[in-house]
Amino acid sequence: MIADLLTTPALSMSTDAASLSVGTGPSWVLLIPFLALLGAALCGVYAALGVKTKAPAWTIVALLAASFAATVAMWLGFDGNPYTVKAFDWIQVRWGEGTGAAAFIANFSFYVDTLTIYWMLFVTGLATLIALYASEYMSHDVGTGYSRFFAAFSLFVFSMACLVMGDNFIMLYLGWEGVGLCSYLLIGYFYKKPSAVAAAKKAFIVNRIGDLGLALGIYLIFVHFGTVEFAALFADAKLQGYLEAAKVGNFDDIPAMAKAIPLLLMVGAFGKSAQFPLYVWLPDAMEGPTPVSALIHAATMVTAGVYLIARTYPLFLTSEIALPIVAWIGTITALLAATIGMAQFDIKRIMAYSTVSQLGYMFAGLGVLTPTGAAYHTLTHAFFKALLFLCCGAVMHGFAGQLDLRKLSGLRKVPGWRWVTIGMLVGCLNLAGFPITAGYFSKDTILAEAFVTPGASVIGFLLLLTAGLTAYYTFRVFFRVFMGPVHYEAGEEGHDHEHHDDHAHDTPGHHGDHESEPHSVESEPASQGPEHTSSEEKHFAKHSPAPDKAKQHEFHPHAPGWAINAVLITLTALSVLASGLYFVGGNKDLHTKHYAGTMIAQSTAAYDTPYDKYAFKGEHAVAQPGVGPRGVIAEPLTMPIIGGDPHKMMYFVSGVIGLVGIALAWWLHLAGRTTAAECRMDKVARMFGPIPKWAEHKWYVDEFYHAVFRMPLVIVSHLSHWFDKLVIDGLVNLFGLLPRVLGGLIRPSQSGALQGYAAGMIGGAAVLLLVVLLIAARIGGAA
Amino acid sequence: MIEKLAIVWPEIILFATTCVVMLTGQWPVCAVRRMTPWLAAVGLIAAIGAAMASPPSDGLYPDLVPYAKSLVGIMGLMILPLLAGTVDRELEAGVARGERFEPLRSNGAEFYAFFLFSLTGLMLVASSDTLIWLFLALELTSLPTYMMVTLSSRSTRAHEAGVKYFFLGALGAAIFLYGFTLLYGATGSVNIPTIAAHFAEHGLGPIGLAGVLISLIGLFFKIAAVPMHFYTPDVYQGAASPVSAMLAFVPKMAGFMAIFMIVGSAGWGPDGTGLPVPVEALLWVVAAMTMTVGNVLALLQSSVKRMMAYSSIAHSGYMLVGVIAGPGGDGASFWRNGLAAVLFYLLCYGVMNLGVFAVLASLERKGQEADDIDDIRGLVRTHPPLGWSMVICCLALLGFPPLLGFIGKVGLITSGITSGHLALVIILAINSAIAALYYLRLVAAVYLEPASDTGFRPSRYGSRQVAALVSAGGVLVLLLMSNRLITAADDASRYAPVAPETAPYAEAGANN
Repeated sequence: MIADLLTTPALSMSTDAASLSVGTGPSWVLLIPFLALLGAALCGVYAALGVKTKAPAWTIVALLAASFAATVAMWLGFDGNPYTVKAFDWIQVRWGEGTGAAAFIANFSFYVDTLTIYWMLFVTGLATLIALYASEYMSHDVGTGYSRFFAAFSLFVFSMACLVMGDNFIMLYLGWEGVGLCSYLLIGYFYKKPSAVAAAKKAFIVNRIGDLGLALGIYLIFVHFGTVEFAALFADAKLQGYLEAAKVGNFDDIPAMAKAIPLLLMVGAFGKSAQFPLYVWLPDAMEGPTPVSALIHAATMVTAGVYLIARTYPLFLTSEIALPIVAWIGTITALLAATIGMAQFDIKRIMAYSTVSQLGYMFAGLGVLTPTGAAYHTLTHAFFKALLFLCCGAVMHGFAGQLDLRKLSGLRKVPGWRWVTIGMLVGCLNLAGFPITAGYFSKDTILAEAFVTPGASVIGFLLLLTAGLTAYYTFRVFFRVFMGPVHYEAGEEGHDHEHHDDHAHDTPGHHGDHESEPHSVESEPASQGPEHTSSEEKHFAKHSPAPDKAKQHEFHPHAPGWAINAVLITLTALSVLASGLYFVGGNKDLHTKHYAGTMIAQSTAAYDTPYDKYAFKGEHAVAQPGVGPRGVIAEPLTMPIIGGDPHKMMYFVSGVIGLVGIALAWWLHLAGRTTAAECRMDKVARMFGPIPKWAEHKWYVDEFYHAVFRMPLVIVSHLSHWFDKLVIDGLVNLFGLLPRVLGGLIRPSQSGALQGYAAGMIGGAAVLLLVVLLIAARIGGAA
Repeated sequence: MIEKLAIVWPEIILFATTCVVMLTGQWPVCAVRRMTPWLAAVGLIAAIGAAMASPPSDGLYPDLVPYAKSLVGIMGLMILPLLAGTVDRELEAGVARGERFEPLRSNGAEFYAFFLFSLTGLMLVASSDTLIWLFLALELTSLPTYMMVTLSSRSTRAHEAGVKYFFLGALGAAIFLYGFTLLYGATGSVNIPTIAAHFAEHGLGPIGLAGVLISLIGLFFKIAAVPMHFYTPDVYQGAASPVSAMLAFVPKMAGFMAIFMIVGSAGWGPDGTGLPVPVEALLWVVAAMTMTVGNVLALLQSSVKRMMAYSSIAHSGYMLVGVIAGPGGDGASFWRNGLAAVLFYLLCYGVMNLGVFAVLASLERKGQEADDIDDIRGLVRTHPPLGWSMVICCLALLGFPPLLGFIGKVGLITSGITSGHLALVIILAINSAIAALYYLRLVAAVYLEPASDTGFRPSRYGSRQVAALVSAGGVLVLLLMSNRLITAADDASRYAPVAPETAPYAEAGANN
């Protein structure tokens, strides 16, 4: 069956979906989510028992590894036919009879197709690796906090599995909210730190806006299509009709309600995946522990929006404006975040903005009709961005929370940091789109497609510009922190003395347990390689070669132990190997040219439009007349870039742009730099006037939101508060008083005297009869 | 006549049990006396079994019998553990000290026998199809309760309450008996389906109308509706809590079934909205006043028992809305069928209300039961199971979503709206809000306020606490079963007036 699918060019969703039988799968697939849930429960037990060892970490690593193994088994055992696996009946509401019969069915069951498998492979795989990393990274907190961390971590994996594997939108929504909750819990992990709590709240609230869109979208799906189950929805005759209409550009026949669905769903996707204008929460989310940033806020959760759109791609194809909006929002986000990232000094924040920017690429990819490119970029990005974050985390861990690139330099030469440097270099090369790296291939797929899709070439140019900026800011970090003269200052953690922070914004810190009290000078300078270091016991003592004016303590950076190094090496290898996916697992047709393409082509994200008839098959970029989601193309268009097929030319164009960005970073940040804080860029920046300052302040978007959305709300809420207090409470008290007064009036009738009661009954009955007869006479209905 | 026996099997079983209980209750051997409640329970269970297998009756509501009688049996079973220790306390204590048992001083036999007699009467109300049967059944329901009120406590308050209850009850009975005679005078028949057929054919007429209205006013005594409500607080407060709990349910159930029959004989018409205007006006005015008077007076009480008495009045008002809404047309769903809503609400009310009284009965200080709101402050902290039972039952009575009372009220409200009585439903909603004031006061006293040592200790009759827990548990369990119960109530309320020409004893009516 796989062989059949591989040789079938461009599976078309619109024709095959109905005939694809959705069977029942093996029930061991349930292990994937439920092992993670079991892990969360066990961590709760550990916390209750007050376990003070690393047992939670090993439990989670083992369970997640088993979950990953089950995912691999699911992948290998997949025969090309989507199937569902039901855990239990969940929501089944039926009403009406005969022709009016309707039902709302959402079982706790899982839908497995190639898209699911594709996503789950890297979710569970990375979760396992990052859990291993976190076992060491979080070791300062062994105890209840450690259990809490791993409980939330494991619960996150369960929620993500529900999101990606759910067989209906309610399961997806459950997972969607579940990952949001876990994200909130983990961002606010250091709940005693006000900035962490504020960041957690911000993430939660901004996500609510998106979730409202998703909820309304799901509601409309049910109202319009009468089902929330994927299998039934994508085989729905009505939807197939719309897709047929869309194929010939006949969008007027599609009802507005159906077209509104993708617009609402994309709001949800923008919130979860930190797209403009809802991206503001993600940089702040870096307040969470770094493994969390790597797994949730870089590799997996934030790609849920990409998954959502890929999963519901047929719905997006029914609206002529949905995909262009997605493409434009993605492009704007990519560019905006890249410009902000260029001016930041906190390396973790730079990585956060680069995540926002790269997610923008994925959305642009979805928008320019290459879910394949988006999915491939999601995968490569998951690897290299997790790697980059974990490297930053290692730096943060080792330098007592120091993340300011002006205070770190030449880490390459500090003993014990070899693997971190190599990992960082590989990650940076990927992010910068250095030729033949995985990031280069995946980004090219999107860029090329932007130039192929009619009317999207502006998007293409903007994304190319962004690619250059990305290469620049990525290597700005690498050249500043890892190259150049050796110099470092410890972060503020564990330091009692005043911290001279001339930083424009808060450094997201992270409370560590590093003994930064002065080590005696005779503590041996370490000479072993990192392979021999035993976790956190050994500290590499090294005198800061650049004596600082107020450097009263000797600071000993703390090189990563075996767990961190092992994970970094694995991820480095995976990031390198991911480029191989571009060459395997596919066939000649570009739609299924490589592994990601094959996986996407067999899922609901596959589509059939006239575009792929020419664009994905042709060796040339000369368009033929046809119609597609963007409407009728009247005449053949040529969209060459520098006179060639974008798919071919892009290898050179984007490669060159990436190299230019790296060269610029080298010239501005490394060449001739003698101290950590100063470089040639400082002079160049002055030429731009206040613009770099604005960029550093994130273009004042947060301030803008504060003034435009938050302040009015605060004012209105104060007004409401007083209105409530004075008017509403007054009314309520009045109405509360009224019955009491009334009661006081009729109370004397309860005198306790038997005669009085009897008289009351008889008199009451008489009055009542009289009143009733009067009423009846007035209405005129007396018999 | 012999086929009629099939309907009254539950009553026969209960009657037989009553006879046995009458003997064992004053048996000289202590162990036999202790068995009395258990025997009553066995009888009730057997009666429930017989009720469930009961064939349809000849009345206006042929399928009412299984639901109503099972409900009576189940409520009887739930009240039974609460009755423990109500009478013969000193006597049994004396026997335990070695004194001789004197049957003449013992009240245990009568007490349980009256209890079962009252339930028998209540079941007979459900099976009644003639006015005479209905009257006798109503009296059989009520007469034992007068005695039980008096027996329940040695205080003069109980005696006063018993006397008041008896005299006023007799007055009420006289009123509805007068109404019944007018009905007979108007139609020449005591058979309720025949009366209904007669009214359907010839219209109510002045005498018939007077009969219906006066009968209803008399029956309002049973459900404690305005203006026949005066006795309620005095009697509920005077009687011991277990008996008050029973009074809040048994006469009310009897009254509502009788009202169903009398209003049913006047008829809702084929689409269920054609109730004769004066009858509808009477019910409307009484419903509105009952809710309002009950709730506003409950606000002013500091005695929980008095508060519950007034709330019992208010709940009768709510249920009258369902009576006005009527059974709807053929195959009307629960949301349209007001009678089904009333039947379901009776069940909900019985259980929720029982829980509150059971908590009061479970707390004692020197043999005196808790009554004042101060007696139960901080109960959740001092006696968590009792405290939580109180909280759950009060919230359910208030109609707090998604508890049982809420579902019951939804049925009343939707049937009220769909039958076009929006104004009445608005009055109901406002009254529910007023009711929140005093129910939440109870909840706050039990749950929020700090515990103070009031001297109240859980009763040594543990079965009373069992009754409290069972009621609170019942509120939750019935919630889960509510779908099935709603269907059962819907089936039970099938209104089947016979066509005039096929009415039984039609020749008797034709002579007039």
